[in-house]
Amino acid sequence: MYGAENSEQQLLSALAEGQRAATEQIYRQNYHIINGWLIKNGGSSADAADLFQEAMVVLYGKAQTEGFTLSCSIGTYLFSISKHLWYKKLQRQNREPALLIDIGAEEDERGIGIRYDDDVNVHHEREAHYNMLDSALDQVGEPCRSLLKAFYHNDKSMQEIAADFGYTNPENAKTQKYKCLARLRKLFYSVQAK
Amino acid sequence: MSINSNIYELAEGYLAGSLPNDEWLKLKDRLAADAEYATEFYEITDLIRSVEDNGKQKRFRSMLREVHDQQTRNPAKKIKLIELPAHIWRTAAVAASVAILTSTIAVWSLRPSIKQNNSQYNTISREMKHLKEVQARQQAQQAQLIENINKNTKPTPRSSDVKYTGTGFALTNDGYFVTAYHVINDGSGDGDSVYIQNSEGDYFKASVYSFNAKADIAILKVEKKGFRFGKGEVPYTFASGKTSLGRKIFTLGYPKDDLVYSEGYISSRNGYEGNAQQYTLELPAGHGQSGSPVVDEHGNVLGLLTGISGAEEANTYAVSSKALLDLLHTTLPDNMLHLAKTNKLGKLSRDKQIEKMEAYTFSVKVYKR
Repeated sequence: MYGAENSEQQLLSALAEGQRAATEQIYRQNYHIINGWLIKNGGSSADAADLFQEAMVVLYGKAQTEGFTLSCSIGTYLFSISKHLWYKKLQRQNREPALLIDIGAEEDERGIGIRYDDDVNVHHEREAHYNMLDSALDQVGEPCRSLLKAFYHNDKSMQEIAADFGYTNPENAKTQKYKCLARLRKLFYSVQAK
Repeated sequence: MSINSNIYELAEGYLAGSLPNDEWLKLKDRLAADAEYATEFYEITDLIRSVEDNGKQKRFRSMLREVHDQQTRNPAKKIKLIELPAHIWRTAAVAASVAILTSTIAVWSLRPSIKQNNSQYNTISREMKHLKEVQARQQAQQAQLIENINKNTKPTPRSSDVKYTGTGFALTNDGYFVTAYHVINDGSGDGDSVYIQNSEGDYFKASVYSFNAKADIAILKVEKKGFRFGKGEVPYTFASGKTSLGRKIFTLGYPKDDLVYSEGYISSRNGYEGNAQQYTLELPAGHGQSGSPVVDEHGNVLGLLTGISGAEEANTYAVSSKALLDLLHTTLPDNMLHLAKTNKLGKLSRDKQIEKMEAYTFSVKVYKR
């Protein structure tokens, strides 16, 4: 567990590694705040869950960057990103460009410059990129699709994969994995080139 | 392992920092000397890095869902027992526990197909469920500042518990079938298991073969070896072009556990916001009917249901069978899937047509991993 004596920076490093305890702590400390805010602003609890988890993914993505530090508290950051994501979403639904008022200034009471827009845009770009990758992966054909998913998404070892997919040894499974990557590459870059 | 060995293996070692020193030196020289090789090499390292990061993020997302469930679980909503075969029990348990609360919350969306990419983050398909609420809200909102919105938030079950359901129908008797893309993909695109439940209540796992997210079509196959939907080939055929205005149609779907029949007519040649891949229908439809076949009087499949819109849900939209056939032809090998050539429904009365179709129409259920 991460007590009060642990700095936020430690919490962030743990989050970056995908450690569950850190994730739980951040969740516990912040979720109800976003939930409360969203309910007051016309959203549902289901929206809040989606929104907060998305903000967590933004933070997770940001924490992956080397030498990353947050210029404000984790709570402030998550709240700002959540608000930003929510306004963007409403704006998209309404197709009403004027709706994205400058929440940056309003939130920026303590003069902390949080660059929500950049972070959110980077996040959306990354999601788009991953989506393209996923559709390429879905078109790569079997057994490649399952094999690559097992290795990269589900974090299985080559030993497990060899056993699951009926290869005589991990080395053969590995050879197959490289072939699959080659196919994925073809699909992915041809999609990108379009 | 020489420098000429598998470039993928090298790229992997390079990324992991596990290349032996001499190999690393050789690689460095080659990258410096051979621009073509370097381009290829960095393309591969980019790809591997993306696939790895994507996987990491997916694992993080599923952990978030678990943490959320764990921290917000309400002891009042205890297990409602639903009979499922043991092999899917594990994945279905959470969903089943709240199925009674969520059974009416199926994805029923008008995917905004105008959007160019799929970059909508994973809340998007969930927000489709709230489309109605959202639209109502939008209208009320128009002149208001966001801050002033403070009204009727309906209690909704937590989305992390939601079990998506829709309807699917067979393309071929050996297990290929079609449903609406938004039924199987909530935007996160991974980690869900898709099952079909036939009219007899049996579950079968299915995997995705091909899809067109923009058109809202997904082609799947039941995984079980030797699987058959019914006794013979599928009884209906697929219309290859778009059909005429005013044609009478009917549909079969699973808005609840029982098969439901409804009928209507084609009310407009194009669909949502003039989408030429769709029809607009005058046809009552509800949650859970996404993916249902739209069939004419002679047993030709004209399309599949995709969404509803408007006040009072006045408009129903279907993706045309032409868009479906286009997807089949462009993404699947020619000899993979043989659609039925003879229509066995043409001369039958409606109740007999339905009876024949029943085995080939089923509920599609998506469980969170």
